[in-house]
Amino acid sequence: MPPKACSPACANVSPVRPDAMDFVITTLLNALTLISILMLVGLGLAISFGLMNVTNLAHGEFVTVGAFAVYFVQSMGGSFWLGLAAAPIAGAVIGCILEFAIIRHLYSRPVSTVLATWGVSLILQQGLELIFGLGAKPVTPPIEGTLDLFFTVYPAYRLILIGIAMLTLLGVILLISRTSFGLDIRTVIQNREMAEGVGINTRRTYAIAFTFGAAIAGLAGGLVAPLAIVLPQMGVNYLANAFFVVIVGGVGSIGGLVAGSVFVGGLTSILNYQISPSLAQAVVLLAAIVAVRLRPNGLFNGASR
Amino acid sequence: MIARDRNWLLIFAACVALAIIYPFFVGGYQLTVIRDALIFGLFAASLDFFWGRTGILCFGHAAFFGIGGYIMALITLNDAISFASLLGIIGAVAGAALVSAIIGYFLFFGGIRGSYFTIVMLAMGVICQQAAVSWSSVTGGDSGLIGIPPIAFDVGGLHVDLSQDLPSYIFVSAIVAVTVLALWSISRGRWGTVLTAIQDNEVRAAALGHNAPLRLLVTFVLSAAIAGLAGALYVCMAGLVAPDLSGLLLSTEVIVWVAVGGRGTLLGPVLGAIFIQRAQQTISSFNPSLWPLLLGCVFVIIVFVLPDGILSIYARLKALFKGGRRAQ
Repeated sequence: MPPKACSPACANVSPVRPDAMDFVITTLLNALTLISILMLVGLGLAISFGLMNVTNLAHGEFVTVGAFAVYFVQSMGGSFWLGLAAAPIAGAVIGCILEFAIIRHLYSRPVSTVLATWGVSLILQQGLELIFGLGAKPVTPPIEGTLDLFFTVYPAYRLILIGIAMLTLLGVILLISRTSFGLDIRTVIQNREMAEGVGINTRRTYAIAFTFGAAIAGLAGGLVAPLAIVLPQMGVNYLANAFFVVIVGGVGSIGGLVAGSVFVGGLTSILNYQISPSLAQAVVLLAAIVAVRLRPNGLFNGASR
Repeated sequence: MIARDRNWLLIFAACVALAIIYPFFVGGYQLTVIRDALIFGLFAASLDFFWGRTGILCFGHAAFFGIGGYIMALITLNDAISFASLLGIIGAVAGAALVSAIIGYFLFFGGIRGSYFTIVMLAMGVICQQAAVSWSSVTGGDSGLIGIPPIAFDVGGLHVDLSQDLPSYIFVSAIVAVTVLALWSISRGRWGTVLTAIQDNEVRAAALGHNAPLRLLVTFVLSAAIAGLAGALYVCMAGLVAPDLSGLLLSTEVIVWVAVGGRGTLLGPVLGAIFIQRAQQTISSFNPSLWPLLLGCVFVIIVFVLPDGILSIYARLKALFKGGRRAQ
């Protein structure tokens, strides 16, 4: 019943050739895999926690739901890519329901939001366990095998994962900086009353932004499913790490998100070579606490609120 | 004396009286059940002391419970140590206090409040449980440590041996009663007033000369130390310690006990712990996976229906009838 200790996001790949260049490149790619996933999970949190001031403890379950969506589609005979398309939709549906039923009534009560979303998180975990049963669910990657990168050999699927994550991030940056909806979001974040004054429906903007964050987290869950242990309780590890990303990086900018992901993901990934994963987690936590003490507004202190 | 304080003392006296006459009606197993529930009640009161007065929710309080439990287990299981029970309790309290002091220093003086604090403590709970599982050479891994002896020590020629049901029940009830009373007198006095001021407006409280981070830190350390004490008592009574004791589920349950019993009342959380555990045992006997599901529903219900806990039903009914009378 309690979440078993499993690796935070995905295990490291060991270098194949025994030379230094190989080691460096493999380490970098391992870190990049973890950073990509944390960035996608953290994006939704940066929106809800950082910008809307909503502490959503059910955010990890969006990741879980995305991973289960891929498992479900695959077990029905569908391809991985179909599952990966279903993952963000599943995340968005759950996120939309959560926002509509619970979060929008609690914008002015932060502690209540914590309690209610934690309750939802427990309900979703047990619900998934009742539907799909106990035990880890197998998800097969779409591409087996490795790719020769001249310096090293690396699993092809992980490279695809990194690519999709980077494209998604680019898409989000463009959406926020170039579209009219992005302009609405930026306006609402800067000054909610003023945004309402110029005729922006702030409730709707919040709802869409929240759902959007949930969808991205669902996508992250779908992407990580072949690498991770797919369990109803898997979400909490992503939740804790993603919160660190947002806290360490500082809220309010994509740059902060990237800086936080690099800090948490890079440190975890490198430490995993030296010490056991749970000790690595503890060290990352301590480092994050110290970092927050030294730089209260985040490592990347762009737009402070 | 204010009416609210008098009411509290009356309820407290009633609870103590109930605890004194309880052993005359039941014995053996029933007594140990309520004894264990009381230990968790002490744990709930420790969380309430911090959460109720500062408004900051600690989502990993079971970490301190677990730290206390493991330190107690390691000290009492070591044959080379004499006065193991007393030393174990002191070590458990000191260990929990030390960890909370280190973490609290960085967080409170770093300006971390509210949700941020909640999240960091949530992560700390996760990590403590993982550490308990993976550091198996010391903690016994997943299965934990078994065979922890009951508390036994000599004080001034008086030999205290808590291997029997009744003495252990009396010992635990006395500790819980004294601790709750002490916490209450701290939180209703000047200390509690300043904490309320910090909760309402920290900048203003600081401008009046109160060292807000230090106050929060000391309150947090005290709260964690009592959680460690509860953990130490629990492992001696249960005879075993396992990673679940510092787990997320226990951290979650203690929040429910406090929230249902009524935040800020100190007594309510103890009662909440006793009643909810009784309910949990009944429900889990039907289906063990039903409990977390219900727990989740309880969270949502508390937030939307009973934000001030079960005790607020009485106040609401009173207000309702008062309102009705006035309308006539």
